[in-house]
Amino acid sequence: IQPLAHVESEDFTNKTLTSSDEEDHNEAPTEAKRSKKGDAAVDDSNVLYHPVKLSRSDLYRPPTAEELNQLKEAESLFHCNLLKMQMEELLKEVALSERRKKLIDSFVQRVTKLLEAVPETAEVEISDLSWLSGSAKVPFLLLPQVTKGKFHMAPPSSVDPIGSYPLGTCIKPHVVVDLAVTIPANVLHPKDVVNQRYPRKRALYLAGLAQYLASFSDLGPMRYSCLHGNRLRPVLLLIPPGKDSRSSFTVRLHACPPPGFFKPSRFHPLRNNIRTEWYTGLQTSNSEGIEPPTPHYNSSILGDLLPKAHLQFLSAVSSQCPAFADGVALLKVWLRQRELHQGAGCFNGFLASMLLAYLLITHRISNTMTAYQLLKYNIFVAKDPDSSAPSLAEFHSAFQVVFVDPSGHLNMCADMTACTYKQLQHEASVSMQFWDDPTVDGFYSLLMTPKPMIRTSDHVFQLCELVKLQSSCKKLNLLSELMDHSGDYIHTTLPLILSLLQQGLGQRIQLLTHSLCPDPEWSVSNEPPKYKTQPPISFGLLLRPELATSVLERGPPADSPKAAEFRQLWGSRSELRRFQDGAITEAVLWEGESMCQKRLIPKQIITHVLKLHADIPESCLRYVGATVDDVIKKGSEVPSTGEEESLVVVQAFDDLSRKLWALEDLPLSITSVQGAHPALRYTQVKFSVLFSHLLICHMEGSGKWPHDRFAIRHIRAAFHIRMGELLKKHHNYSYKPCPTHLDVWKDGLAFRIQVAYHREPQVLRESLTAEGMLVVRDNEEAQALEMATIHKPLLTSTLHGLQQQNPCFGAVCRLAKRWLAAQLFSDDITEDTADLLVASLFLQPAPFTPPGSPQVGFLRFLCLLSTFDWRNNPLVVNLNNQLTGTDYTEIKNAFMASRESLPVMFIATPKDTKQSMWTKRAPSIQMLQRVMVVAAESLKVLELQLMDGTQIQDVRVVLRPPLDAYDALIHMNTNQVPLLCHAVDPPGVNFKRGVITGNAKASSGVLPVIDYNPVSLYLTELRDAFGDLALFFCDPFGGTVIAVLWKPKAFIKAPFKTSQASARSVEVTGDEAKTFPNVSAILEDFRILGKGLVKSVEAKTEKWSF
Amino acid sequence: MASSKRKHGSGQTCVIPGGFSVLSLKFSSDSAASHSLYVKEHRVRAQSHSGRPMDRTLFVLNVPPYCPENVVKELFSQFGSVQSVELKDHPSSSPDSGPRLSKIFRPAEKQGFKVGYIVFQNASSVSAVKSHAFDVPLVVQTKERPVKTGVQKWIQQYTESFIPKEKLQKDVDDFMMDYDKRKEKAEEQQRKEAEEQQEEEEGWVKVTRGHKGTKARPHSEVANKKTLQKEMKKKKRKELMNFYTWQHKNTQKEHIAELRKKFEEDKQRIALLRAQRKFRPY
Repeated sequence: IQPLAHVESEDFTNKTLTSSDEEDHNEAPTEAKRSKKGDAAVDDSNVLYHPVKLSRSDLYRPPTAEELNQLKEAESLFHCNLLKMQMEELLKEVALSERRKKLIDSFVQRVTKLLEAVPETAEVEISDLSWLSGSAKVPFLLLPQVTKGKFHMAPPSSVDPIGSYPLGTCIKPHVVVDLAVTIPANVLHPKDVVNQRYPRKRALYLAGLAQYLASFSDLGPMRYSCLHGNRLRPVLLLIPPGKDSRSSFTVRLHACPPPGFFKPSRFHPLRNNIRTEWYTGLQTSNSEGIEPPTPHYNSSILGDLLPKAHLQFLSAVSSQCPAFADGVALLKVWLRQRELHQGAGCFNGFLASMLLAYLLITHRISNTMTAYQLLKYNIFVAKDPDSSAPSLAEFHSAFQVVFVDPSGHLNMCADMTACTYKQLQHEASVSMQFWDDPTVDGFYSLLMTPKPMIRTSDHVFQLCELVKLQSSCKKLNLLSELMDHSGDYIHTTLPLILSLLQQGLGQRIQLLTHSLCPDPEWSVSNEPPKYKTQPPISFGLLLRPELATSVLERGPPADSPKAAEFRQLWGSRSELRRFQDGAITEAVLWEGESMCQKRLIPKQIITHVLKLHADIPESCLRYVGATVDDVIKKGSEVPSTGEEESLVVVQAFDDLSRKLWALEDLPLSITSVQGAHPALRYTQVKFSVLFSHLLICHMEGSGKWPHDRFAIRHIRAAFHIRMGELLKKHHNYSYKPCPTHLDVWKDGLAFRIQVAYHREPQVLRESLTAEGMLVVRDNEEAQALEMATIHKPLLTSTLHGLQQQNPCFGAVCRLAKRWLAAQLFSDDITEDTADLLVASLFLQPAPFTPPGSPQVGFLRFLCLLSTFDWRNNPLVVNLNNQLTGTDYTEIKNAFMASRESLPVMFIATPKDTKQSMWTKRAPSIQMLQRVMVVAAESLKVLELQLMDGTQIQDVRVVLRPPLDAYDALIHMNTNQVPLLCHAVDPPGVNFKRGVITGNAKASSGVLPVIDYNPVSLYLTELRDAFGDLALFFCDPFGGTVIAVLWKPKAFIKAPFKTSQASARSVEVTGDEAKTFPNVSAILEDFRILGKGLVKSVEAKTEKWSF
Repeated sequence: MASSKRKHGSGQTCVIPGGFSVLSLKFSSDSAASHSLYVKEHRVRAQSHSGRPMDRTLFVLNVPPYCPENVVKELFSQFGSVQSVELKDHPSSSPDSGPRLSKIFRPAEKQGFKVGYIVFQNASSVSAVKSHAFDVPLVVQTKERPVKTGVQKWIQQYTESFIPKEKLQKDVDDFMMDYDKRKEKAEEQQRKEAEEQQEEEEGWVKVTRGHKGTKARPHSEVANKKTLQKEMKKKKRKELMNFYTWQHKNTQKEHIAELRKKFEEDKQRIALLRAQRKFRPY
């Protein structure tokens, strides 16, 4: 395979070179693309990375001028030419193939031919639908029922392709080809703009077309949809017949008036085109002629008049700039990954092209730039707040976001909410931040990582039962706006709801986003769906972690004029309060004692504000901000997710460390007291007085220390005794000295102090050879000691610092580790590894922002686990930001050079760039694969549950591992399992043994039983005895089952060897002795070794095949 | 296992190719399954240490984790009185070297299947074991000899982990005393050697070889490396870089080669990613 792969890559290189040349001239790059497509199909999927070996003659041959240029361009334009190549590859992936283009062209031709033969019908009243047979309904909600005017069908005056397809900016997937069908002038009347006459005629025309086309068999099933979710602008979707046609492409028919049929000035944003009298059906009292303006209605009709002009404009621009199409394609991918590309009020591909064109004609960017630069500047401009809104004040008064088209009459962002625009700006500024950051893989973060709302926003809530919004329309007094939106109460109320939320949440949030309602689609034989059938609208909050959890909303002083406004906003919740600084101000106090309750304060605010001002009952809200937190929640009166317990432990540790420093009668002084336990960095999952917290106490170096490993061990023991005695004497702590550690019982918490001497690892490494030469050889013992006494404490203090900056870091770690443990992975992905993985989410969040809630952090943790390419990339966790761009390259190069010998999961930290010490032992490649699969599945299930209220709501589903994959299960007696109350599904009956009731601090006399964990002792024995034959899995937090998996290799019959006879029986054939595991005896040993603990051993013999 | 049993019939010893006899071992008399112990007389090429006399030592494989030394000793006493039992993780030639440590200072042992060296009083016991019938299993736990496993054992271990402070202190003191003595001895030795190297009255230095395995000055690998590096550095300092035109040309050439290499590497990386279909954005 190897030489073949090599040849192919060689081939590929040549083509990249040619295509990058052509890129600039934009001449027939398609041909190269096509041939490459073929290549990709042939390409062997398991090509391995081999370090490049160029022959000397290749490397040192004299360069041609062209090659020099190329190398230089690649170096200067992009911080890594890899990025350039990646973008080219991406463009190839999304571009339409020639084959598909031919299919599209022939289909469009066929449709055009059919359309030209539409028969004429007799003239009828608009409201008379009798000429339509049942096969096609009118794609329009006829409210109010009647409007004046005549209508008849007639063949279209022209059928033209518009939009992205003729421009060449159309990309996969969901290829949509737009066809403008011009309604002949005699069907319309210049006065038709009033009272929805024109929109209705347009809908009727489409229905007529649908009815006519239904009789032809060379079309697939037809459907209606509407343009960008605007019900006034229905479109007819056509697909070619056949099975896989749906995925291939869709032709969208737009019915348009003849160009220039209506006068554009009629659609001025301040003009009215829907009469209140007609709309309400009532004779209104104020018939003085002051009708409210209908800007949205106007722009929806105006939009129909201009598509051809827009196409001309864009094609003129793109002919000037060769990379225009590629730039738009990249921008479209960028938007799609951010879920901004479709729905009502989206920033669609058309707007993207327009923005790019605007930048080109205003010479903000030059015509000769490559696609890459175009994308960059585009995003850069989008970041700039007001550049995309060059407009009249009148536009601004009517719309939230303004982007005027070349004709000067149409606001192309009419339906966009201010929040969507802010989201776009936010995304753009985040993208710019990491664009040039050499420590981030820009390409992946920019274009390849999807950003669904549930993974992007810290908290998400949904408005279900949208029909309730009708009442809020009334409450907010929005009749004229409702008229403007032609009855679409959702989009009428949405801007107001958003501004309400923005006011209520204020400084607590950075950004408020909302989902864009997807374009509804329905079959032509059905009535158009009602507004209430729309899926729930989701809102995303990006929290400011430092402010979001504050329980107090402090308002203005009672006598200030702003106080009334404050009272108006909060209603009865606002009360006068006197503060410590003497001020008396209006204030709102929210409920929340523990951190996990405080995190839900935004929920309280939202519920209150929406109920008070928009009449939206709490039952309509589905708040999914902290649903996943349940799995680590403990405590019945004040539920807590562990922040409070962590704080108690850390405070006790600080106190103990101060007391240790103060000890005077020690022979050597203490140089450092460091925590080396997850609880001391706020990431401990379980809190139980039954387990001790490890801390490392370094003693000063001195000539008095012996230079001998055994002697050091004894001296340490002596220190343990002395320290214990002193602590007892001065502070009356109970203690238990051991050769390896000292257990201290302090205020109801157990601490395990381990004395360390910084030269001990060195002493362990030294040995004398027979010749008396002193050699230093690394060994496992020394590494383990260094890990325990140097690296773990360092990691603990670093992560402790991270927690101070990100208040929810600990909670994310707890969730992640709870999940790993429940899925029986905690032995493969250790606590330290998991903490590091979570830390990487906070240190390098691109393309996101650092997680602001445990839930979103946990989802991203699962995403990281399931999608990170461990095979080809090192995960760099830049603790304390110590690594620079060059360090990253070095790490990557070193990693690539010796990939085979490195751990499968490679995590580099500033202190450890070459070895990945935390993942050296585990996981194995098989386990990592399993972790990835399970993580992907869990993520899928969780996100579906969180975003869809109709699913079964039980997040613990992702914590219940499938046990049928294992070969044997060892069930344990629940009364012997510690931490049973931390189990995923805790049993009803709880054993209270060993739990100190009442005031724990008072009982300082006797040392309680600590660190006695029969399950872990049992697991150690099992692994010691049968580690060669099987893997053992267990949930350390209250799991009552140990799952056993035989190692397939161990069950291959092997010749008898003295080194491999453990737990094996012999079979003699001839004069050959072969061994194989003695399964029945092993199963019995499971019972014997765990006597008293094991309830039953369930052997799944049906699974074994040896 | 089943097949070999049938082959040799009941009441017979079972010997497998390789010279091992197979004994079966049950935890208790009502156990359904049994382990097999593989025994053989201990035989090594060179008699390296006196603790395992060749004629009287039995080499046992596959000793289950619930059989500590005392249990094994009792188990095999039925074949003759046992002098000593040594259990190891792997077959190994010699016992640990180093100073004697008290039990509490020894690191925790692995609790897996062991290899045993059983030294009998009489050589005849070894052959008695070897001819023991296969279908008469040895039983670990009997009424007279309860063996603690599981929860009972762990509770016992936990209780034993409480070491009286005085005992711990005494162990430490004893060891350190011993250590100091050893160290003093070594120092004495060194001083003597140093004295021998001293100049005699007439300015002659007496050069002796000293004892085998000792050198006058302890050499270390690190020191050796350091001197080597120092010399390399000295050499480098003397060299001129970028002085001649050809040198300058060479550096430029190197630069281009570097760029080329990076370009190729990137391309290959892309080819790899492409093969894995890593460019599909969605």
